[in-house]
Amino acid sequence: MEDIFCYTSPQTASSGSGPLRGLKTAIQPCFCVAEWPTDAGSRALAGFTALEDATVVERLRQAGAVLTGLTRMSEFGFGLDDSRAGMAIRNQAADVELSLDLMGETRLAAARASVCGFKPSWGIVSRFGLIGLMPSMECCGLLSGGVKQIREVLKVIAGPDERDFSLPDEKTPDFSQGEINPRETTIGVVPEGLSNMTSEQRDAFEAALAELREAGFSLREISLPDFSLFALVHRIVGSVEASSSAGRYDSVRYGQRAKGAKNWNEMYLLSRGAAFGTLVKSYLFQGAFFQFERYDAYEDACRVRARLLAAMAEISAQADFLALPAVNPGVPDMAASLDDTYRQFFYTAFANVTGQPTLYLPPGAGAITPGLQLAGPRLGDARLLALGEYLLSARQGGK
Amino acid sequence: MEFEAVIGLEIHIELNCPTKLFCDCPNNPGDEPNVNTCPICLWFPGAIPRLSQAALEKASLLCLGLGAELQPRSAFDQKVYYYPDLPKGYQLSQAHLPLARGGGIDITDENGRPKRLRIHHIHMEEDVAKLVHEIEGRTPISLVDFNRAGAPLVEIVSEPDFRTPHDAMEFLKALRTQVRYVGASECSMENGTMRVDANISVRPRGTDQMNTKVEVKNMNSIRHVGDAVAYEISRQSACVSSGEAVVLHTRLWDPDRKATFPMRAKFEGPCIPDPSVPFIDLSPEWIEKMRARLPEMPAARAERFVARYGLTDEEAVYLSADPETASYFEALIAEKVAPRTAMHWLTTQLLAAVRERGQELSGTPVTPARFAALLKMLAKDEINANAARQVLIELFDCGESPEKIVEARGIRQVSDHDALEGLIDRVLGENPAAVADYRGGQGKAAGFLIGKVMQASGGKANPKIIRELLTKKLDALG
Repeated sequence: MEDIFCYTSPQTASSGSGPLRGLKTAIQPCFCVAEWPTDAGSRALAGFTALEDATVVERLRQAGAVLTGLTRMSEFGFGLDDSRAGMAIRNQAADVELSLDLMGETRLAAARASVCGFKPSWGIVSRFGLIGLMPSMECCGLLSGGVKQIREVLKVIAGPDERDFSLPDEKTPDFSQGEINPRETTIGVVPEGLSNMTSEQRDAFEAALAELREAGFSLREISLPDFSLFALVHRIVGSVEASSSAGRYDSVRYGQRAKGAKNWNEMYLLSRGAAFGTLVKSYLFQGAFFQFERYDAYEDACRVRARLLAAMAEISAQADFLALPAVNPGVPDMAASLDDTYRQFFYTAFANVTGQPTLYLPPGAGAITPGLQLAGPRLGDARLLALGEYLLSARQGGK
Repeated sequence: MEFEAVIGLEIHIELNCPTKLFCDCPNNPGDEPNVNTCPICLWFPGAIPRLSQAALEKASLLCLGLGAELQPRSAFDQKVYYYPDLPKGYQLSQAHLPLARGGGIDITDENGRPKRLRIHHIHMEEDVAKLVHEIEGRTPISLVDFNRAGAPLVEIVSEPDFRTPHDAMEFLKALRTQVRYVGASECSMENGTMRVDANISVRPRGTDQMNTKVEVKNMNSIRHVGDAVAYEISRQSACVSSGEAVVLHTRLWDPDRKATFPMRAKFEGPCIPDPSVPFIDLSPEWIEKMRARLPEMPAARAERFVARYGLTDEEAVYLSADPETASYFEALIAEKVAPRTAMHWLTTQLLAAVRERGQELSGTPVTPARFAALLKMLAKDEINANAARQVLIELFDCGESPEKIVEARGIRQVSDHDALEGLIDRVLGENPAAVADYRGGQGKAAGFLIGKVMQASGGKANPKIIRELLTKKLDALG
């Protein structure tokens, strides 16, 4: 398990008698756990131990969940290169895993480990104590063998938090089980999202859609010509936010300070130079570039984001859910550059741009089709999970 | 060529809220270094800012007090720069959508004419930490005190309506008064709760061009602002006259050398919207609720003092400049002291005595009730002005009522005509030369004689009655 966990809890007894009593929960080290080495996978935080629990961690503890340990993550959760997300679930070392989702990491990790992965709506789960990188894109994702556990955990961790005022003043979705009637449910498919697939890849995706059709859902093609802009907008806005957010890692108050600096500016350059890995560093450079040299492009990206949000809202009026691939089949598993990373997350980044919930469902046992990514409208989390549960139980012949 | 200056001010005011702007730490920058800190104001990983409701309310009151219009939606942005006094690489400030726009302050210009100096906008922002530079052995070190980091600030940005140092100083005085009225800050430039940057450019008089401006910082009194602005105007005028270009930069005022000197430029990038602090949406109802909390502002109070109490404009403005003084004045009126007496004795006697003792009007043992009792004895001729001044001094030192003090010291004024006539006869008999002078037409000899009578009474005689009786007697002699 050592290649999965970077820290295991010394204490694994369940406390309390809450609704999650005994639920083995693994977490990534980007969620603060008091006195645990939550370094978010970065040298910038090497040796950092959190002072207090993140809100999600505190709520998990209160509900009786057992925190098993911290799983290895890529630096600040960006991309999946060094991440072992999902592996604790696959190896039954945990029932549920909390994983940072910046542009689809939870869903792709789920695909890799062949488990379920869920990214909730932006703004329903507190980010207090979440060591993130891009506040308007990121959220606490969940990995599990089934959808039911994800729903049970969300019941506990979602909802207003007096320590996170950035949560919009909205009604938290009701996570008690909803009913899904396939005859009255439309699932949309965006053809533009499939345009760079080979015909074989497209056939495989069609096979996955066939499962939906067989279950009785009506499928509907809905055009979204700007689909490829999601990744671009994410890349510009996300990198600018990351560049600002990482500004706190300056070695003044915590973190490692490089030796030999002759003045402040050198202290910043040397310490920050040593603190970040290559991928994150190039992302921060890119963000600083847009912020200081191409601010107009950043503003454009914000405007395009608003337009994409409106386009997605229109789609929600035409279909209850969207079905998309999760994995971009043409891209290698290890992404060496920013370009590769963004290609890898081509099908998932949209949900972080719009803040809508998405669920990755692995293919059924023995199926040759890839898994499916399903998306609902923002705050439609409960219904999306109900759909996931319906499909899983249909596979087992329950429906 | 004759030049005129175009001046705009940027004023930072530290709000006197109990907590910081984005966390619950006490807003006491002067405490032991780094005691008022938490994971939020130190920007530990996972920290999320939470805008303080108290700070928003106080800032809003300040805006309304200055006649500015609260915006239905405002937001925080990240002002990015790297400096050890800034704990997260950016300062949370309202760059794109400020809390309020408009408003202004009415002053009297150097020619006695009324002039309105407009405010462009007012926004909130967080203060930065304090750097302390020391030498450890032979190594220079910098220590950071984060007590001030995250303290609530309001920045007032004026329109470039100012033309003279006088304008700038009058604006600041009136601004300070108004902010004190709403109770938002002490506005002390000496203590740093009010900090002023001046943007100055010059142009040929009569033109309307906007030339390259220079920013001047580091003035720690209103007088210094006037001096720095005056210095900068003449420096730039000399520059332009000699054909030298004025370059955009920042200068520091050196109060000892009475001059400004260029400082190193600080790199600053554009501001990006902060995703973690939600929009501040103010409903019309909320704004009206704030407006209802606004006290009567100094200009309105001065007008009322003129209309209701018959003070002159100058007296009314002077009295209303400080909310404590104005309230004390009104407390005297409520105790049935005549307005003019109250105004005169408060401003010429009590304020000086209070200041001399290092007290505040609100905390002095000479309460309005005790002072009013003294002034009423004076008004009823029970004591004379001299005695009143002596009693006032005793009011600071003992808890007795003015009546008791007057009795104990036996300085009740003598207004009894028979007793006074006896004294006058004696004095006239003892000073034949002065009497002769008076009769020779030297009126001021009467003053000498009155003084003698007063002396003979032990200071207790009523000077009005002495004068009356004395002149009657002298004229009868004639």
